[in-house]
Amino acid sequence: PRPNVHPVPPGTHLLFSQSGRIEHVPLEDYGMNKDQAKAVLHLPEKVIIGVAYDCVDKVVYWTEISSPSISKAGIQGGDPVVVIRSDLESPEGIAIDHLGRTMFWTDSMKDRIEVASLDGSMRRTIIESGLVNPRAIVTDPPNGKLYWADWNREAPKIETAHMDGSGRRVLVKDGISLPNGLTYDSHSSLLCWADAGTQKIECVHPDRGDRRRVMEGIQYPFGMASFGNSIYYTDWRRGAVIAVDRYAGKESEEFQPQKRTKLYGIATAYTQCPSGQNYCAVN
Amino acid sequence: DATQGTSADCKPCPCPGGATCAVVPRTAEVVCTNCPAGTTGKRCELCDDGFFGDPLGQNSPVRSCRACKCSDNIDTNAVGNCNRETGECLKCIYNTDGFFCDRCKEGFYGNALAASPADKCKPCSCSPLGTVDRQTSCSQVTGQCLCLPNVSQRDCSACEPGFFNLQSGTGCERCNCNPIGSTS
Repeated sequence: PRPNVHPVPPGTHLLFSQSGRIEHVPLEDYGMNKDQAKAVLHLPEKVIIGVAYDCVDKVVYWTEISSPSISKAGIQGGDPVVVIRSDLESPEGIAIDHLGRTMFWTDSMKDRIEVASLDGSMRRTIIESGLVNPRAIVTDPPNGKLYWADWNREAPKIETAHMDGSGRRVLVKDGISLPNGLTYDSHSSLLCWADAGTQKIECVHPDRGDRRRVMEGIQYPFGMASFGNSIYYTDWRRGAVIAVDRYAGKESEEFQPQKRTKLYGIATAYTQCPSGQNYCAVN
Repeated sequence: DATQGTSADCKPCPCPGGATCAVVPRTAEVVCTNCPAGTTGKRCELCDDGFFGDPLGQNSPVRSCRACKCSDNIDTNAVGNCNRETGECLKCIYNTDGFFCDRCKEGFYGNALAASPADKCKPCSCSPLGTVDRQTSCSQVTGQCLCLPNVSQRDCSACEPGFFNLQSGTGCERCNCNPIGSTS
């Protein structure tokens, strides 16, 4: 494989990080096309944690903790570019608002959530209190909402706020333990999480508050993404990406990369952006 | 470069354990692509996250990769717990600090190596009125705060017997009671 940037063919696929590389697996009608799995990006000295995808420019963004920074690269070929390098300690989760052209990230040592334009400018802290171990973060761009999880062992919680940090409220705090992964499905309006402590995948409707269990007995989830009927998560113990049918509540597939080391963040790269208008343009 | 037509066109990968390699097109740099388990880096010279060592002995004698050694004062669900080469602990918990999370952090005292988290490091909680310069740190071991003159207790919260006026913020004053009419 070409060690730096390897162009990704068109079509929906998964992007996930494995230490110093970002791998991709194409998604076909029947599931993961494992034979076509390849490294998109190989940065051998880095430890890449969070991965997010901008469906407009077809660019992958990632957080990195060995020299704390946030970078991006076009997935159809392009050099990595650092967009944020200062005032970061342990950037972990990252999420894109493709409508507002902004990115959000958590920092588990600074204990805050920040936002910046996709080029790194207009940076601002939007949440800076009541965080202990913030990790996963996801956006719901058409509704202007932000969701994040804090795996603080003393009081784990999943929270939501508007994209400017206002209207903050706790969505889930009971019956969770280590909610490492989070994904929002705009089709069903469900926020789902993968918990390495309770070993469950569960979902909640953020407005109605009703909660539903998708699956029990998973091993050690870290990152999470979704596409159609499938939920995907990376698992530290299995060293694999696992697909779960969200309606059947069953594991449907597993992909174990050749290299055996921890898998971190995962994101779905769409061929086209999900439909929806910018919340700010409407209101 | 396999197109030159000489026997030296293809060279073995400079990677340990028979790892595969590739050439970065622009820089012509050779990078290992499938390092042995637990290692990473251009030449497989680094340890995976959560481990430390110097597997190729680049900066010191060879040290194979071992799990971060942080006195049980890190959380295994965290990432980046120690420096991948030196092993310096970066995410100490339970109010501990130090290279191996082996002492209490500033403003806390006790035994960072105690078995139970509750027995590890407690806050100094020095009384601001009785402590020199309103310091918030104390002796790492005993927890004794640095008290103003004639102030006592671990946290400098009381006057010594025969003294009063802790509120002054400059130490306690002698009571000066008439010894004939006083009981103490």
